[in-house]
Amino acid sequence: MKQAPFTSKRWQRVEYQRLVDVGVFEGEPLELIGGQLIVAEPKGSPHATAVGMAHDALGVAIPAGWIVRIQDPLALDDESAPEPDVAVVRGSRADYRHAHPARAALIIEVADSSLAFDRVQKGSLYARAGIADYWIVNLEDGVVEVYRDPGADLTAPFGWRYTSVDRFRPGDSVAPLGVPAAPLAVAALLP
Amino acid sequence: MKQAPFTSKRWRRVEYERLVDVGAFEGEPLELLGGQLIVAEPQHSPHAAAVGMVGDTLRASLPPGWIIRVQAPVALDDESAPEPDVAVVRGSHADYRRAHPARAALIVEVAESSLAFDRAQKGSLYARAGIADYWIVNLVDRVVEVCRDPGPDLTAPFGWRYSSVERVRPPATLTLLELPQVTVPVAALLP
Repeated sequence: MKQAPFTSKRWQRVEYQRLVDVGVFEGEPLELIGGQLIVAEPKGSPHATAVGMAHDALGVAIPAGWIVRIQDPLALDDESAPEPDVAVVRGSRADYRHAHPARAALIIEVADSSLAFDRVQKGSLYARAGIADYWIVNLEDGVVEVYRDPGADLTAPFGWRYTSVDRFRPGDSVAPLGVPAAPLAVAALLP
Repeated sequence: MKQAPFTSKRWRRVEYERLVDVGAFEGEPLELLGGQLIVAEPQHSPHAAAVGMVGDTLRASLPPGWIIRVQAPVALDDESAPEPDVAVVRGSHADYRRAHPARAALIVEVAESSLAFDRAQKGSLYARAGIADYWIVNLVDRVVEVCRDPGPDLTAPFGWRYSSVERVRPPATLTLLELPQVTVPVAALLP
């Protein structure tokens, strides 16, 4: 028997944005990932704690002219509006009052149950969008995974992946690639 | 590695209908099936011809007080608004000007490339909704598959399936379960 045709609707970001603006998804934690509306998992306290720690650590490390956005949307591509746990973007808050930023110098996702998804799907999505520096605060293993050098890979969900992966442990420090910031202690990112 | 959490948004029928009403999906052939927005396949000419034949044959045979709806929505359940190729419903067209019918005496799908989907997914969905009489006009094998006696089956996509499936060919005739006075020749359903 041949495979059933079963194609889910692929949402364009502009369509999604319009529905968000009229309140269709009010109270629903959603992200648009590669045309699909994905339900965000509820966050446990270790997750929330790690997000807060990354926010605090980056807040003091980054210079003027950069901001940290927490779980806010990025206009990543025509079919994606993810809401990464942490994004470091250029400019001021007011710069984005009419449109979400399209680019981030650094994206951080905090992962416990979402580890595989953050590595494979989100990693591929961010790599495709040319995000040069993507960190996963891996709560399961107590490490920070640093993903860099996006490159094409047809086996990845969105056709791209990061070709360089480094794992950092407490005691190490890691400096953002595109932000003129002091290195961050990995211990300051892990609850 | 544990399974990634990757949950698509499940749409409720009321949400979906509200978006349809404001024109959000204009020009997009969609069906809401079990909370998912599924893109309808483009129709080839054998498919369109068969839909026309099924419609004509049933329309000519139905007693007063019954109508056929062709590729019109059925308010099947809280998370489904399929648009079966042909549905036999009670009443007049005007009865449904404010709300789609929730029930049908007979649902017919014409299947070519969608055969596996119409059998497994749609069959399970219609069985769950208690549709007592579901016919698949199978253009691949030139038979009509008559699905009846819905019953629970945890292995089915929506937890139900038809426990009786009979394949009938010309020159057999078929009688509607709910309208025993209506008998149609199978040959009149196959182009």
